[in-house]
Order: sequence, then C-alpha cells, then structure tokens
Amino acid sequence: CKRSLDVVPPSSGTTKIFYLNQEDFLQGVAAVYNGLRAYPDRLMNLSETRSDNLYAASVLGTQPYDAINSFRRNAVSNVYVEAAWNDDYNAIFRANYFLEQLELKGNIISSEVLRNRLGAEVRFLRAFYYFDLVRYFGKVPLVVKTVLPGEAVTIPRTPVAEVYAQIIEDLKYAMEVLPASYTGADVGRATRYAAGSLLAMVYMARSGATYSIEGPGLASNEWTEALRLINEVINSKVYTFNTNYASIFSYANQNPNVNKEAVFDVMHVSGLNPVLGASFVSLTVPDSYFTTVLQKPAQLGGAGRPTSFDLYRTYDTAVDVRAKTNFLLYYTALGIPGNRPYLRKYMDSTKVPVNIRDWGINFMAIRYTDVLMLKAECILQGAAGGTQEEVDSIVNLVRTRAKIAPVSGVTLEQLYQERRRELVGEGSRWFDLQRSGTLVTTMNNWIKTDDDLKQIEPVVKEFVLYPVPQSQLDVRPGLYTQNQGY
Amino acid sequence: QTVTIKARQKSLKEFIVSLHENTGYHFIYNSDLLNDAPKVDVAYTNAPLETVLAENFTANGFNYVVNKADKTVILNKKTVSAAAPAAQPVKGVVLDDKGNPVTGATVMVKGTNVATTTNNIGAFTINAPDNSKTLVVIYVGYETQEVPVTGSKVLNIVLKTNSTSLDSVIVIGYGSQKKSNVSYAIASLNSEAITDRAISRVDQALVGQIAGVNVKQTTGLPGKAFSIQVRGSGSISANTEPLYVLDGFPLGQSVQDGTGGFSGGNALDNINPDDIESIEVLKDAAAAAIYGSRGSNGVVLITTKKGKVGKARIQVSGSAGYNEANRKVDMLNGEEWADRATEMINAAYVSAYGSRGATAQDDRDKRISIIGANNISYIPDPRWAQPGHPGLRYVDWQDEIFRKGLQQNYQVSASGGSSNVNYFFSVNNIRQEGIVIGTSNNLYSARANVEANFNQKLKLGINLSPSYSLLRDPGVEGKDVIFHQALNMTPIVEDSAGLYTNTYGNNPYNWAVQFNSPVQKALNQVGETKRFRTVASVYGIYTIIKGLNFKTSVNVDFSNSNYTRYVPYTVSNLLNVRNSQTTVNTSGGYQTNNYQAFVNENTLNYTRNLTGGHNLNVLLGQSYNNFTSDNSAMNSVGGYTNAYVKTLNYAAGIQGRTSASQNILLSYFSRVQYAFRSKYLFSGSIRTDGSSRFGENTRWGVFPAASVAWKMSEEPFIRSIDKISDLKLRISYGVTGNNNIGDFSATATTASYGYVFGSTQAPAIGQAPNRLPNPNLKWEKSATTDIGLDVGLFKGRITASFDYYNRLTRNMLMNVAVPEVTGFQIALDNVGQVRNKGWEIQLSTKNIVIKQLQWTTNVQLAHNSNKVVALGSGQTQILVPSLYTTVANTVLKVGESINSIYVIKRIGTLTQDDINAKVARYGAQTVGDARYEDYDRNGIIDAGDRQVVGHPNPDYTWGVTNTLNYKGFDLRVLVQGQVGGSIYSILGRAVSQTGFGYIYNQLGDYRDRWRSPENPGSGVRDKAYSTFGSIVNTDWLYSSDYLRVRAITLGYDLKTLLKKAGVGSARMFVSLENFFGKDKYYGGANPESANTDLSGNGNYPQSGDYGGLPLAKSLIVGVNLSF
Repeated sequence: CKRSLDVVPPSSGTTKIFYLNQEDFLQGVAAVYNGLRAYPDRLMNLSETRSDNLYAASVLGTQPYDAINSFRRNAVSNVYVEAAWNDDYNAIFRANYFLEQLELKGNIISSEVLRNRLGAEVRFLRAFYYFDLVRYFGKVPLVVKTVLPGEAVTIPRTPVAEVYAQIIEDLKYAMEVLPASYTGADVGRATRYAAGSLLAMVYMARSGATYSIEGPGLASNEWTEALRLINEVINSKVYTFNTNYASIFSYANQNPNVNKEAVFDVMHVSGLNPVLGASFVSLTVPDSYFTTVLQKPAQLGGAGRPTSFDLYRTYDTAVDVRAKTNFLLYYTALGIPGNRPYLRKYMDSTKVPVNIRDWGINFMAIRYTDVLMLKAECILQGAAGGTQEEVDSIVNLVRTRAKIAPVSGVTLEQLYQERRRELVGEGSRWFDLQRSGTLVTTMNNWIKTDDDLKQIEPVVKEFVLYPVPQSQLDVRPGLYTQNQGY
Repeated sequence: QTVTIKARQKSLKEFIVSLHENTGYHFIYNSDLLNDAPKVDVAYTNAPLETVLAENFTANGFNYVVNKADKTVILNKKTVSAAAPAAQPVKGVVLDDKGNPVTGATVMVKGTNVATTTNNIGAFTINAPDNSKTLVVIYVGYETQEVPVTGSKVLNIVLKTNSTSLDSVIVIGYGSQKKSNVSYAIASLNSEAITDRAISRVDQALVGQIAGVNVKQTTGLPGKAFSIQVRGSGSISANTEPLYVLDGFPLGQSVQDGTGGFSGGNALDNINPDDIESIEVLKDAAAAAIYGSRGSNGVVLITTKKGKVGKARIQVSGSAGYNEANRKVDMLNGEEWADRATEMINAAYVSAYGSRGATAQDDRDKRISIIGANNISYIPDPRWAQPGHPGLRYVDWQDEIFRKGLQQNYQVSASGGSSNVNYFFSVNNIRQEGIVIGTSNNLYSARANVEANFNQKLKLGINLSPSYSLLRDPGVEGKDVIFHQALNMTPIVEDSAGLYTNTYGNNPYNWAVQFNSPVQKALNQVGETKRFRTVASVYGIYTIIKGLNFKTSVNVDFSNSNYTRYVPYTVSNLLNVRNSQTTVNTSGGYQTNNYQAFVNENTLNYTRNLTGGHNLNVLLGQSYNNFTSDNSAMNSVGGYTNAYVKTLNYAAGIQGRTSASQNILLSYFSRVQYAFRSKYLFSGSIRTDGSSRFGENTRWGVFPAASVAWKMSEEPFIRSIDKISDLKLRISYGVTGNNNIGDFSATATTASYGYVFGSTQAPAIGQAPNRLPNPNLKWEKSATTDIGLDVGLFKGRITASFDYYNRLTRNMLMNVAVPEVTGFQIALDNVGQVRNKGWEIQLSTKNIVIKQLQWTTNVQLAHNSNKVVALGSGQTQILVPSLYTTVANTVLKVGESINSIYVIKRIGTLTQDDINAKVARYGAQTVGDARYEDYDRNGIIDAGDRQVVGHPNPDYTWGVTNTLNYKGFDLRVLVQGQVGGSIYSILGRAVSQTGFGYIYNQLGDYRDRWRSPENPGSGVRDKAYSTFGSIVNTDWLYSSDYLRVRAITLGYDLKTLLKKAGVGSARMFVSLENFFGKDKYYGGANPESANTDLSGNGNYPQSGDYGGLPLAKSLIVGVNLSF
C-alpha cells in the first residue's frame, strides 16, 4: 500500500533514472558546457562595462549597468553580479554531479578513452568556471563535490591560493587527457591546447599585481611557466593567425576547425527551439538602432552602452580596420552626452534574429591572437626564454593586419594599449587592468576624461574585486565575509 | 386501498413492515410501544386497509389515524382511561405563514396519545378529552406549536417556518449531524439563497454570505471561476483555495495559477448552481481536520438535490436578461489627450531645439525648418486645434468594446420518490454573452441523482452529472491584450480608418501608439475553451446491525478540455509587415488538458443512543485518491499557408509537446462524536494522510482535532430565562494541512540544458538536475484554535454566532534561499510561520413576523489579520521578484502581512523651493515632478526609500441580506463589501506612469495635472512632460475597499393568479445583480482583478491586475414553475 505512493514523474527525468547509459553521460557533459552560454554576456556586463572601454552611465542613472560602470557600492545586489556567482556555481554543481556519477557508474561507458575524455572535459570546465569566479570575487567557497543545503551553510570562502590549486590540478589533468583536436560532431569540445592556454592565463593572473587585497593577483612570478605553456600551444601549429580581422568575427566563419583563430569557442546556433543562439551581440547596441535604422525588433541593448572616448580616440580611425569592424557610428535622438559610437563587433545587420537571444555567432573564449599577445606580455614581464624581437613581431603582426604602421621596442604599456584596441568587446580589458597593477590609476584618469555625467565614484583598490552578492550573504549571515570596500 | 397479505406468527413490528411494503403507507409510531404487542396470524386477499388495521391494531389496544393524502398511518396506544371524561371534537385549520393550508400536519392532544393529521385543506377534527387544555401541532420544517383549546371555537393555527433550524440536520465531513449538536465552526447556505437569484456559478452564490469566507470575483469574463479564501491566507508558496467536496466526493484541482486564474480547471467548473441543495463551509480545524492534509484552506461541502418521497414534482424555470459593464476606467477623452500631447510635444521640442531658437508657439512649418524633418515627437497634428478636427475621429475605446450581452438560464428538473427509490433529474442550459464583444460562455449540464433501497439492509445510489461548456475569450484580460490596450490606446484615429485603425489595410494614426484596433482584435481573434466534464459517484450503504452502517463509494471526475487560439495577420503587426508577409503573421495553437480523479472511500459509521441521554457516533474510514492529468499543446511556427483556414493543418509548421502528471493520496481516519443529554457535546477526530507529493521520509502526516461544546441553554438556570432560547459555547483545536504544491516537488528532477557542438553547428542535448531533492519535504501544518458562541434570543427571533480564531501555519512550503554552492539559489523546504487571527459574527434577526409581512435580516462581518511570524533560517524579509518593475514592490517581512506593498511614497510635487533646499530627488527630477519621501534620509531617492504602505488582503469583509415577504411578494437584497486592503496596480502603472510617452492614453485625473507653478492642478498628478523615468511609488497604490449591492431580487408568487390545478408553485422574479456599487480603484476597473503573473516566479506566486475587466451588472427576469 505504501509503495503505491512512490509515483514516478511521467513527464520529467529524475536523478534516479539518469546516468544509466552512455548517452546519459554525453548529455550530462553537454549540460556542463551549457554553463558557458552565460559567459559572453557576463564578460560584457562585468569586464567591458566595468572597464574604461565603455561609458555605461545612463542619463537616468537607474539601469543595472550603471552600478557596474559607476562603481556604486550598492552593486552588492546588482543583477549582473548575482548572475555571475549563481551561473558559475550552477555550472560547477553540474560538473561535480557529473564527476560523482562518472565515478559511480562510469563503467557503463564502454570506451575507456571516451570515459576519461569526458571526465577531463568536465574538469576543464570546472576549472574554467572557478577561474571566472576568482577573477571577479577573489576568495570563493571551494566545493568539488555536490553539497546539500545543510552542508553548504558550513563552507566559508576559501583562500584564493587554494582555489587556484584546484584549478591548476583540474587543468593539468585536462591537458594530459584531452585530444589536440576533434572532428565532425565533436568539434567545439575542450582540447589539450584550450586547457594549456587557460592554464597559462591562470599562471599569468596569479603573477599579476596583488593590490594588497585578497584578489586574483598573487605576484607569484610564474611568467616563465605561462610562456612555456603558450609556446606549446603555438608550436602545435593547430592554430593560425588570420590576416583578415573582420573575417575572424564573420558569421560565415564559424566552424572552429576552419576559423583557426578559435582556441576555445562558446558555440551558438540560431533558429532552434529551445534557443541555442547568443545574446551578448546586442547588449551594447541601442534598441533604437534596430527599430529605426534596421526596421527590426528591439534587441537587448535598451538605451545602449556607448564606447568610451578614451578608447575610440586611441584608434587611427582613418586607417585602422578594427575601428570600422568594432564600432557603429550611430547617434541616438535621446543624446547620450557627446554622441559616442557603439560597440558592434559581433553584429551583422543582415543576421538579426527573430528571437532577441538567438544570434547565430560563436564567442571566442580563447582567441589565438590573444594567446600570442599574452606571450608577448610574459616576455615583457621577464619570462625566461623570450626576446623583445618576438614581442615586436607579435605586436606588428596584429598592427599590420589592422593596417596601421609597425612599431619597435614595444613596451608593456604599448602592449596593453594594443590589446585594448584589438580585443575590445572580447572581455579582456578588466582582467588586463587587474594583472597590470595599473587598474586604479588608469581608471581614475579615465574618469576624468570620459565621465560627462559625473556619475562615477573614485576607484579604489578594493574595486578590483566585485562584492559577494547580497543574496549569498543573506542566506546564512556570517558565513561569508564581504569583500572590503563594500 | 386494499391489502393482500399472509403472515404467520409475525410480530406486530414485522407485520407493519410487510404492510408498508404492500401498501406503500408509512407507519409512524413509538417503537417501544410495540415491544409487548402479541404476534399476529393473518391472511387477507384484497381486504380494505381499514379492515386490516382495525382487526390487528384496535384489537391489540392501539389507536390509529390514516392519512390517505400522505399515505401515513399514525399508531398510538389506546388511552387506558378511555372511560374517563367523554371526548369532545375540536376542529381547526392549520395554515403556513403565507396563509396556505398545511396538509399532513400532526395534531396531538398534549399529554395524551390522541393524534390526527390535517387533510388537504388543512382542516382537522380531534377528539380531545374534556380536561385537555392544549393541542400540539407538528410539521416538518416548521416550529412546533402549542395551541390552547378554547371551547368549541374553530381553531386557526398558523405555523412559523423553522428558520432557526436548530433541529435541522447539516452536512459535515463524512456524514451529517443535528445542527444543535455541532461543536465546530460550520456555516451553511441553503438552496433558496442560490436558486431564487439569477446566478451562473456555484461560487458566485457564496459571495457575501458567510462570515470569514472571502469570495473574490477576479475577472469580468463569464464562466470563469471565483477565488475563495477561508479565514485569510495561510501560505506563501502553496495554494490557498479551499477543498471542494461534492456530495461526499472530495474533488481535486482548484489551483490558482500564476496569473490568478484557474487554467488547470476549477472544481466548480460546469457545476450547475440550480442543482444545489445546500453548501456548508467547514471553517475551523476541528471541522476540517477530517480532511487532513487538504483542510488548511477550509473545506466547502456541496450537496445536490435529492428526490423526496411523494408525488413526482416537475420544475421548470427560465430566466433571461442582459449584462453590461458596471463601470469604466476614467481615461482622458480625445480632446484631453490632445491637450496633454500638445503640451508634451511642445516641451520636448523646446528642450531639444531651444538652442536653435525653438519656442512652443512655433507652427508646423517653422518647426520643420528648425528640425530639418517632419518629426511627430516635436510637431503636433495641426488638426487637433482646428474646430471639428477635420479628418479625425475621437474614440472612446471602452465604449467601443463594451456591449450589452444577453444572459439566459433554462432548467427542467423532475424529482420524486417512493419508499424504495428516490430520484432527481435535471437538464440545464446557461448561456451568457460577456460584457465585451466576442466573449461568451455556454454551459449544458444534466444531473441524475438516484437512490434505491435494495432491501432492508442495502441501499445503492448514483449521482451522475455530465456537462459541456464552450467559453469564448479572444484574449481580453491581461497585459497588452484587448482591455489593457483599449485603455492605453490613443483616443484619436483617422476618420478614414475609424475602428479599423492599424488593422487590415489601415496604418495606425500617426501620433498614436501602434496597437491594433482592440475592436478588431476582439472580433477576429479566436480563443475557445471547450470542456466536457463528468462527475459521477456510485455508492452502497449496508446496515450490518442496527446503528452500524458500512458505506463504500467510487467517485470519478473526468474533465477534458481543449483550447483553440487563432490570431489572423489582419489584426497583428504593422501594415507594411501585414502586407509583405501576410500568412507569416497569422498564428494559432491548440491545447488539450485532460484531468481524471478517482476516489474510493470506505467508511463504517456506528450510531448508538444509550439510555440516560448518551448519544454516540463513531466513524472509521479509509480513502484512496488518484489524480492524473495529461495535456498537450501545439502551436503554429512560421505562420499559416492559408489566410482563411484556422486549424493547424494549415500552419506552415507545428511545434508540439505533451506532458502528464499524477499524485496519489492514501488516508485513514476516524471520528468520535458524543453528546450527553444534548448538553455536553464532544467530538474528536484523527486522520492520517500519505501523499506521493512529499519526501520519501515524510510521506505520512497525522492531523488530530477535538472540540467541546456546552449547550448552556439546556441547563435549568438558563432555561428558566425566557428570553434565551439557545446558548452554546464551543471550543475547538485541531491540526490541518496543506499539500498544494506541485506533484513532484520533493524529487530531484532533471531538465534540458543544451549546447552546440560540431563542425557544422548542431544542437547537443544536455540534461542535468534542475533542483535539489528534499526527502524530508512535508505538509504545511496549521494549528487552529476556535472559540465560538451561538446565541438564540426571543424564541429564535435573534440568532447569532460569534467566533474567534487563531491559526498558526508552520512548516510552510517555501522556497528558501540556500547557498549557491549547492548549485541552486533556492530549495523547497518547510520553514516559516504565518499567523491568521480574526473574528466573525453571523447575525440573523426576524424584524417583523406577522401574517402579512415578514422581514428578516442576516448580517455577517469578519475580521482577519495576517502576519508573517517567521521566514526561513533567521531571514527577516524576502523581496518578492517583480516582472514589471525593475525594483521589487512587494515584500514578505516578519511582522507584516503576506505580500505587503513596499514602495516609495509620493508626498507632493517638487517646487523650486524644494530644489533650492536640496530635497532628495530621484534621478534628474525637476520642478513639477513628483516629490518622494526620503525614507532612509540619505539625501537621494532610490530603492532604499521603499516602505510598507499596505497589504493586499482586506481587514474586514461584510455582507447584509434583507429578506421581505409581503403577501405574494418576496424581496431579497444582498449588500456586501470589504475594507482595509490595498491594490498595487500594475495596470495603474500602465495608465499613470511618470515619463510615459504622449502617445499612450492616461488616467482622467491628468486633466487636473500640474501645468506650471502658478497652475498646480489638483495636486494628484505631476507635470505631463517628465524625463526622470519612474520608480515604484504610491501613484499606483489604491484602496481595495468596495461596497456592492450584489443582488436585489423581487419575486411574486403567481399561484394566487394561476389557480389552475396541477401547478404546485409558481414564482416570477426580477433580479438586479451587482447593479449598484462603489469602489476606490481609480487605476483599474475591478479591485479584485487578477489576470497577470506579477512575480514571474512560482516560488512567490503573486497575481494582480494588468487589464482586468469591470464586473458585469445584470438585469434578469425569470419564472419558476413546479407541477
């Protein structure tokens, strides 16, 4: 009689009937990759918007991005900050759950190679999400297994070094196990070189400035280790430098095996149900551009987040092809002060989707040009085994493609400026500033030139990190201590 | 009447049974009298009944009275003192309070066994012994009367209706009980309150009738369910609708969805109100705890009509009339809109081009030369200022979509019965045209209630009710649909387009918001719900031994509904899109929803009346409930391939899905009721419920309850007080539950999380858990204490009930915040507490009771206060998410009511002095904008300045019913209302938000807006052209107080005119439903509207008004005949 109360949901899967065959495990991995889908938007909202690349201060001062760009202390409840914590941890939960099930029932997967590869892909992704968290929040609670609420309220924030240790362990494992590339339907999965590039970035972040806070930088001076990893990626010859800047972001050039700039993509495709397209494309473009110029439905940009003058003026707009590719010279009637251009790097006006979150373009989470420029940075930071010639040649490769004059004796500061011009809209700027140690001064100088609306708070070193979201502090008061400065 | 009967050595009792079976006559006697009677040996063939009776009863020392009309025989012991004073005949007539003769009333000589019954003209003759002084007149449904015998005069005895009904029986859970012995808080409503009016739903009948039962009419559309709350709302995440029990069958599925409607169906859908005999509401835990885990929100017991022994009765009734909107929302008319638009356009123009010399006085040509283009943002339509507005038509969109709709109700029923079978059959058709064009409801239903005595021990019965309804709603209520758009729509159109503006071949008016004409949408969009529902119960009752009955019942409720939706391209999008992509802009859908409930219940019921005044009733029961549902949805993708065919076979593509759900409830229950001398009453019950909905470790819950009552009026010291006819003190305590969460909320389900892989990008199916399991999830438990006092004064002229209750709900089913390291932000758990406290008064007075005129008044008044006592793990507040405002406007806060309104207070209009004094402002506010209260005193206005300004539930609800009978006329007036609640209206936001463009029409009070410091208007509305945006504030806060004259029904008894034989009764009536009323909801049409999901989050369900229709008022004329 009592057994009759055990009713199985007729219309939804449950954990009791999942991970029972190989296909389930493949689906479980895809669900961990699914966490990447929020990553490009997050970079737009928390890296580009916070940095000196965009002037995201609205006239009314009431948009959610205002708190980010204006360094408001009430960003503790900001939706973008909340989403960063929540989305990363949700993806980490899926990764942990998958790894536990792989441990328990992985024998169902007949091929040991496949079994190990799936585990390595998921560990790569777990490292990816933790690295994302560390760069935004510093110390975060480290969980490498699934925890129920009762246990979760006993786990405080873990020191940054311990989180890094886990990230490095996962990535080293992934480098060992993952293949160099994929074919056919598997293209787009994490590769050995994606793991190597990410690990290099981790070492570089660790080697970055500390600002005397418990942030991502530990001044650990691991530039040499990073350079070694990057050279492995370059020497693999899997990737090539694309000499046509616009084609890197072309809708016609989306296959990662063809677009050799793509070391690791967040993949999208338009027109499916449920939606598997991208939403980051239109975040910086005002709705009125779509409705009035293109006669299309409004997208996600609202009033738009214009580009900073400071950035736009660093381009030689007459010749730099990147200026044309990256910006839209469109002025809204409402008149954001100064009539600034808008960032439109990924927007193709012929590809406006029916559903506003359904753009069919990949997002390069790791781009080969970025990896090359990181190499130059390691060398300039004093990594053993590199030369100034290598640095100059990398920077000139980039400049030549942009149709601007080559330079020589490139300094670290020049390199960062070139990175800013090259990688705008790709989410690196805020982390470049973090690493460089110049974040506070650079931002405060920029405020002077760009803040027409006088909305931006003076930047202090504590702002290198975001606050822990208020909702997390509220769950169990005292469990997490808030970052200083908030 | 003749008798053919043979019997050997039969006891007189057995002989009576045989006689009854043989003749159909009922024998009325005191069973004890027959105990010592001798056995009989008889053999009759076609013998007259009189002979049989005389030979067997008179001979054995019994008197008998035969009443042929009623087919009854009353037996009495022959008075021993037959030789004593010679009897003398007393004559009289018994009439009812309307002056009609009463047939079959029993007339007895007090203190003797001498009795007779009245004949078909109400007359009687009784041989009263000389020394007898008093006659007693007894008739069911009337008060027993004692009449002094005065000489030889013909007595004229008028009976009074027994409206105190203290001896009447009312339905309780799993049984019935003498009302005077009830020790719980139960309120009941009889059929007259339903059938005398013109109503179309059962829930409508409950409005304003019962203290503590708050019935909300959340929509103005016909055929839709009402929302009912008994004694406040005790839950945050789980459902708060009561359990409905129809003739003992606990129905499932009345769950309010996010929008406040019942898209999954309501238990009262398709139930014909004319079939209802009575409705009882179990309010306190002691009454409801017999329904265990479903009792927390109260239980509504509905009993349908049964046939009565006697002649077949056929009833025919019909009514017809019209209904229309009871009010409109006050919006700006065309002239006023143009005035506001001109002001805003000028201000925008000067603000944008002031630097180039623009002034508000510039004409069109000058503006074009300054701007360099023709831009309607800066140039008004010159025709606004021209007399007669050539080429334009000024439209009141509400007038255009509203109409007078025809409303009809027809019913034929037949009922009757013999001692072996009783039956009730009915067929009914209710058809209503709604107050908006294109809306209607049409219900066909039938019912058969049949009960048969198989033999002395076994009774079988069936209640069967099939029904079919067709409801048409082209999409009238809610956001961005017909009614909301009719309000927000620009009240000016091009004369050439008229009511076809922005539909078919017409562009929108240049200065207008680009909505499609709401009139054409109402006429062309299709939204049809067809529902076929059958509710059936089959039961058997077997008498094991005297007093011990076994009852088993099998109940099924099948409801199949389908919904068809169709929007043609002609009424969607803009003209260029319509023209270029005709069929692409057509869309349609088809959904089905099938619901099955299967309930089997088995009960043992033992009743024993012991000598010495002990009455005992014991119930033991077991119940199995299985609820399943499955549904499907198909929608067109990419439009239609044909512009005329509406079904999906002509859709360019189809997307579909199906899903299903199930839950099982297993229960065991028992109850003991004990009364000692009808003075001390006790009842105790316990129920154990097991449900598949809950965690593996906590499937079973126990729900005990007990109540005691003391009928003080039975005590000699009260009995001696003549004025007090009834006085009863009740105290009860009990625990009930609420299991209204989704079917599999305790289970860790998985959901789809896809990704893209491949050299040719292709979807990869992903799957992962989408919530945390909670194997310990259990019921919400409410513990309720109730103290009640029932009073009857002046022989029942005044009766009153007073109840105080205190309900503490614990272990609330709530989604509590958990650390995201679990993978989730929330998990469903049992936390938090809510307390509902209140009191209720139900008062009934008979103000005038004379033969010609009777006037009674029923008053009900209830107070409820609702407080969050605790939230999860030390939390003090939760901000309820809001879909329509960027910051939350509702809070769950310890110490405040559930869903308290949490917004910034507007305290006036900003003046230059304010700005000079640097008062706090929101964003870029300037002179003439709203001034808000800086609640946190930090010098700026932002979300931190929100404060609790009201709560949604009313503090007091009340209702007054006056009934007057004068000669053949009857008049019933029901007035009801509520006080103390607030509405935070998202519709109000749409029609009065600061910073809204001029194209939208706004509330009428903008006519008295702030225009300049010298002309500040009424102080309610700030300047039209404001550029600071908007923040949640008290502009959209309204009181939900209202007063409504719900029903005025005037009836006339036609029987005095129709003296034709055969007509048993005839009444015609005229009824005004909801005709008069007053509310304070300026920003909307119905203070109780619910049509839109405000939180967009199932964890904190909150529905509200975003374009709810006004209620219908109706005038109906009808006639009821019975034969």
